Amino acid sequence: MNSLAAIPYNTLVVAAAVAVVGFASGVVGCFGVLRRRALAGDAAAHATLAGVVAAFVVTGRRDLPTLLAGAFVAAVASLGCLVLIRRFTRTRDDAATALVLSVSFGIGIVLLSGLSARGISGAGGLEQFLLGHTAALTATDAITLAVVSAMVVLVVWAGLKEATLVSFDPAFAAATGWPVAVIDYALVALGAAMVGVGLPAAGAVLVTALVVIPPVAARQWTDRVPTMLILAGVIGLVAAVGGVAASAAVPRLATGPTIVLVAAGLFAVSFFCAPERGWFARRRGA
Amino acid sequence: MTIDTAASVWGEFSAMHAWAIATAAVVAAGCALVGTLLVVRRMSLLGDAISHAVLPGIAVAVLAGGRPGGVLVLVGAVAAALVTVLLVQALRREGGLAADAGTGVVFTTLFALGVVIITAAASRIDLDPGCILYGILELVPFDTVRVAGLEMPRAFLTGAGVLAVVAVGLAVTWKEQLFTAFDSDAARAVGLPVAAVTGGLLAATALVTVASFEAVGAILVVAMLVVPAAAAELLVRRLHVMALVAMLLGVVAAVLGYLAAWRFDTSAAGMMAVVLGLEYVLAAIVAPEDGVISRLAARLALGWRVTCEDTLALLWRADEARAGAAPQPFRSPGEWAAGLWLAVSGRIVRDAGRWGLTAIGRAEAETVVRSHRLWEAWLGRHADLPLDHLHPPAEWIEHHLGADLRRRIEADVGAEESDPHGRSIPREP
Repeated sequence: MNSLAAIPYNTLVVAAAVAVVGFASGVVGCFGVLRRRALAGDAAAHATLAGVVAAFVVTGRRDLPTLLAGAFVAAVASLGCLVLIRRFTRTRDDAATALVLSVSFGIGIVLLSGLSARGISGAGGLEQFLLGHTAALTATDAITLAVVSAMVVLVVWAGLKEATLVSFDPAFAAATGWPVAVIDYALVALGAAMVGVGLPAAGAVLVTALVVIPPVAARQWTDRVPTMLILAGVIGLVAAVGGVAASAAVPRLATGPTIVLVAAGLFAVSFFCAPERGWFARRRGA
Repeated sequence: MTIDTAASVWGEFSAMHAWAIATAAVVAAGCALVGTLLVVRRMSLLGDAISHAVLPGIAVAVLAGGRPGGVLVLVGAVAAALVTVLLVQALRREGGLAADAGTGVVFTTLFALGVVIITAAASRIDLDPGCILYGILELVPFDTVRVAGLEMPRAFLTGAGVLAVVAVGLAVTWKEQLFTAFDSDAARAVGLPVAAVTGGLLAATALVTVASFEAVGAILVVAMLVVPAAAAELLVRRLHVMALVAMLLGVVAAVLGYLAAWRFDTSAAGMMAVVLGLEYVLAAIVAPEDGVISRLAARLALGWRVTCEDTLALLWRADEARAGAAPQPFRSPGEWAAGLWLAVSGRIVRDAGRWGLTAIGRAEAETVVRSHRLWEAWLGRHADLPLDHLHPPAEWIEHHLGADLRRRIEADVGAEESDPHGRSIPREP
């Protein structure tokens, strides 16, 4: 109790909010991993940097909701570019992903460097969206992030059956009359929203890890979708809290990489120790 | 300031820019060359993963006393790339993970590890997290070494050396790379060392990545690897031509990107990625076979031909029916334009207040109507469709049947002189 009281109120609120963000990222990421689209989210993630800086340039404001709205628009736009490339060219999907990822990140870097070269006041601090830096969040910002994350989780929960169906057998879903494209785009939009919300915690470069590593780790433990969602959420939550705590304790340690390393540790445990799919269990079975 | 000092300041200034551009150009050429093979082998994301994952290798090598751009750092980066590839393969083989999931786990983890090492040892390492992400090409000309009496940037020498090694290596093994890229199973079956060929490509990827690291950083090097090759693939077909075009596009983007960044006072590496993106968009628009323009042109040409043929057929059918009412051939701007062309080219003519066909127009119209009715006859005989379902497919296919196919359908339905609606099928003109 004493040790908890020693932590400033702001830090506690931020840690709690990032925990909710971690949970939601893990949950939403499950469908990306199940649909083998784990890396399409990476293109959206890198594009968010351009969205954040552009939002600042256009509105002149740097409150979190404005910046995150920019990030969300950029994430959706980058996914739209992927769709356009698939529709109008013969570039393969993997090359298209790498292309959108790197070019959109280039746009973000051009805008960011252009701002700082012009010494525009208030532009400083935007580069924290590169690698994540939760210490700069206010309690109000943190609560915004938590509320959006909770809403995303509720939407996923409400549409669990539809999302599962589309993830495992889109052809069957289409044949039985489900609007597969609509559900698909809804899942993509949820993923883009999550990438935006995860941005202040993990940064544009590593936010992918929040939506990829926890689901992949959770998949090792179970074959049931609801269990996988909850496990992925919990793993994401633990990683997020661990990352925030470590980066608050150690100076100069960016939050994003620390979250990723905690998540990677949990993945390693899952990879080796899971009861059926784990490495040890397979070795014994073989 | 005298004119002399101004000139010498300008001389120094432009030499600095020239070295930065030269450095960007050699690393862009090397990346584009390797990227060509990555793109056609569907390994673009592995290139992405490697470019992120070399970071811990570089960090450890620098901690161990290596200089940025030095041999130790190159070795560290190649080792880290090797670890990435082996880890992704191990996750797939031992844990049954899908390639994209495994790649996503491995490269984010390694990159995070690299960032943590660098930030933790910031006091002892001369590497800046921002530089890691997007490079500082602008500072490249200040770190020079003297070679053959000339001060040259270290990053340029590394880039040029790596480009030479990779270019020679790939040129010598080009046949093997080509075979493996397009059919690795067949390559393995005839005894090519496919694993070694792939390993060589991955080592080349690691080399060009680390050579580009200082200039453009971990993420924008992905643009240099993938985008020129993806653009070149839209423009040309043959692999070695694609490699040359990709290298050219990479060098052009390096030069234009640097100049644009200088003009607008922003990051050179970021601007190069933006120029590469524009090059890709341009390639997608002007690509000869399936670019946006050529698709649009093909679509317009088809639409024009269909309108002309439909107009001729309409007039022919009006003649056949000997209807009292004049046909109304020109109801839309497109049909009006087509009618104008048909009149000018002598296919239709206005006679006694109504449009009629000339001899040329009649022959062409008969071909179209013949195709239409042959197809209806063929469908009527083979497809078991109700009578009123025969017209729509025939209306579409009448524009696409060649003389040879018409003859074969006629041989098939030969006994029938008329289509299922009872109208006679015109003879081949």
